Amino acid sequence: MSTHHYLTCFADHRPVLNVTLRSALAILGGYGLAALAASAFAVGMPLPRVDAVTLAIMLSFIVYLLAVMWVFATATLLRAAAGLAVGAAVFGAWLWLAPSAAGGAA
Amino acid sequence: MRFDKPRTFRQSMKWVHTWTGLPLGWLLFAVYVTGTLSFFHPEITLWMQPESHRAKVAETEETARRAFEALARVAPDAPQWTVSLPGSRSGVAGLAWREATAGQPAGGQQNAVRGEAARRGEGGQGARGEFGERAAGEGVSERGAGGQGDGAAPRRGFGERGMAQGMQARGERGARGAGGRGSEESDAEEAGAAQAGAQTPAASGGGVQGGEGGRGQGMKRATMDPATGELIEPRQTAGGGFLYRFHYRLYGFDRTWGQWIVGAATMVMFIALITGVVIHRTIFRDIFSFRPAKGKRSWMDGHNASSVLSLPFHVVITFSGLLLLGNQLMPSAASSAYPGDERGYFMEMRGMRGGEQQPAARPSGTPAQLADIGPLLAVAQERWPEQGVGSIAVNFPGDARATIELRQARGDGLANRAMGERLLFDGVTGAPLEAPPVADPSGVRATSNVLSAVHLGRFASPLVRWLLFASGVLGSVMVASGLVLWVVSRARDRTADGKIPAGHRFVEVLNVAAVAGLLVAIGAYFWANRLIPAEVAERNLWEIRVFFTVWSLTLLHSLLRRHKQAWIEQLALAGGLLAALPLVNAATGGAHLGVAFYLGQWQVAGFDLCALVCGALLLHAARKVASHVPREKVARSAGRTKKPAAAGGTDEGGDGPVPAVLQTEEA
Repeated sequence: MSTHHYLTCFADHRPVLNVTLRSALAILGGYGLAALAASAFAVGMPLPRVDAVTLAIMLSFIVYLLAVMWVFATATLLRAAAGLAVGAAVFGAWLWLAPSAAGGAA
Repeated sequence: MRFDKPRTFRQSMKWVHTWTGLPLGWLLFAVYVTGTLSFFHPEITLWMQPESHRAKVAETEETARRAFEALARVAPDAPQWTVSLPGSRSGVAGLAWREATAGQPAGGQQNAVRGEAARRGEGGQGARGEFGERAAGEGVSERGAGGQGDGAAPRRGFGERGMAQGMQARGERGARGAGGRGSEESDAEEAGAAQAGAQTPAASGGGVQGGEGGRGQGMKRATMDPATGELIEPRQTAGGGFLYRFHYRLYGFDRTWGQWIVGAATMVMFIALITGVVIHRTIFRDIFSFRPAKGKRSWMDGHNASSVLSLPFHVVITFSGLLLLGNQLMPSAASSAYPGDERGYFMEMRGMRGGEQQPAARPSGTPAQLADIGPLLAVAQERWPEQGVGSIAVNFPGDARATIELRQARGDGLANRAMGERLLFDGVTGAPLEAPPVADPSGVRATSNVLSAVHLGRFASPLVRWLLFASGVLGSVMVASGLVLWVVSRARDRTADGKIPAGHRFVEVLNVAAVAGLLVAIGAYFWANRLIPAEVAERNLWEIRVFFTVWSLTLLHSLLRRHKQAWIEQLALAGGLLAALPLVNAATGGAHLGVAFYLGQWQVAGFDLCALVCGALLLHAARKVASHVPREKVARSAGRTKKPAAAGGTDEGGDGPVPAVLQTEEA
């Protein structure tokens, strides 16, 4: 696992900044991704709404966990951020494409 | 380990495990310990009200008759009575009744009682303690909120439905008019609280208590000696409810904030648990590996064994803890699926779909004699031979339209939130009526229910409850040993130059205060319960003040004393305080062990014995620490770097990888 294959930025080479940014990515980015995932699951799963919400909450905590693990496990900060971004894109697209939930409630 | 250098996956996870565990470990230990005690919080409250200890065991039927007599005496006009029968969790009977108030819309109220409480009252029953405790502590611990009256009522006290709490409160308040006090929430909650009454006799002075502090308006409670029918006047106490509430929302914070803090700590716990599993390749062997008196190795073994032994418990309790706070922690799920209508989600979640409520039942106004409870209890006993009847609710006692509902003491279906069954009878003829059906939960809901039921110990028979307690103790040991391990692992960093880095000292000080100090504070809390005179106003607040004062003092002590001395002294003090509790109990009017066994007060005896055992263990721990010679010192005199690895190697050859990896990482 050598780093020179990866695209690094200046922060990758500063240990304190590296850890700080990873922590921020993990805590805030991870929560953001989990919250987005919760929305997507809640709206996009083919379940009764109330069950979808319950399951979405369960799954979102697992998403959070995986996001945190990812951010700290990857070689570089860019990959850490890119992973979250890809996740966010997937869940965002799912949320976007899912049939609107507003129909039932309104 | 540094993130700017190449590293393995496990090294990364090790870092995450260490640095997520430490900062919130102190809080997690407190959450784990108070949460573990919460498995027994009704019993703790019972212990803390020695006035209730004198109650004797009586036949269920006799108890029920005496309860009805007592209720007819003190609340002849009440539209609803609830009797919580003594059972495995309490030796006294709890009476509760709804006050007959002219100003309230009786129809809506009764509707709610029948429709909601009937349907979901069992939830409350399963969660008895929670509701009751709330009734007890809430009014006082949140005195400030008392004035909020109606608006705040739904906010407090959903016990097991805590999942909804934060958002629910907002939703409800927004949705209901100011006078909307016939709400499902508050009524169902009160019905639950009513059942809870017995388990945790409401904590205010006087044999008959109203729900002060804005909570449980209209509900009055009393505690009855099942053998004599006399009303008991238990002292005011913060009880087990204080510990219970502390474990999920701390104290002194706004509820929302407290839950966010605990929620964050729980998420951290979840991360630390899973990463902890990831970094261990020898999960199975860890169960059997404990090599004492080997310094860091022993702490590592202890940490691993306590984690792995009840790993499923830790994972379930942590994950379900997240789910119980889930609606607050992840509001985006509900707000996306129910845009602008979160309240609809909470209604649906509890199986209350719009328009499903039954039409209001009203009393006929024609007086009639209440049916004899004996035959009804016999029917129930035949149907539930194991669990028996937990509580009895009577609507419109003395009216021709009276109904009697018997509720199972403890459900046995986890998927249904361990809801007990109910039997509904005509209150005059005693003929069975059809109870409102309980829908089978969906797969997802069942899963969620199972998790929360485990977290709340909902289903638990006494044996299972003790197993949960033991798992909780292991969890506390896991967190505490992890905290200690952090210090022990870094002992070598500082013995080189003999100085203690400020960060290490900080962790040391907090470790002692958070682990031993908390136990001292808990011991002091129970002592305060008995030493503060029973008549003192706001007694329960004084108990809580003693708890926090003592805890702060332990922090001060830990700051002033040398690390090892601080551990020894605080562990010894905590052990002494706890081990002496049976004596304090006997000396201050409680049922001492002999009496408790004689009277069948298993709850009280169990508390005393548990305190004795925990105290003895802590004293033993203090002795071990006192006689401990740091391994590093021995090792250093013989050659600093080689010794530990060599010792580990000879000891058990196959176990090399784990400590080797850890040592290299620490370096």
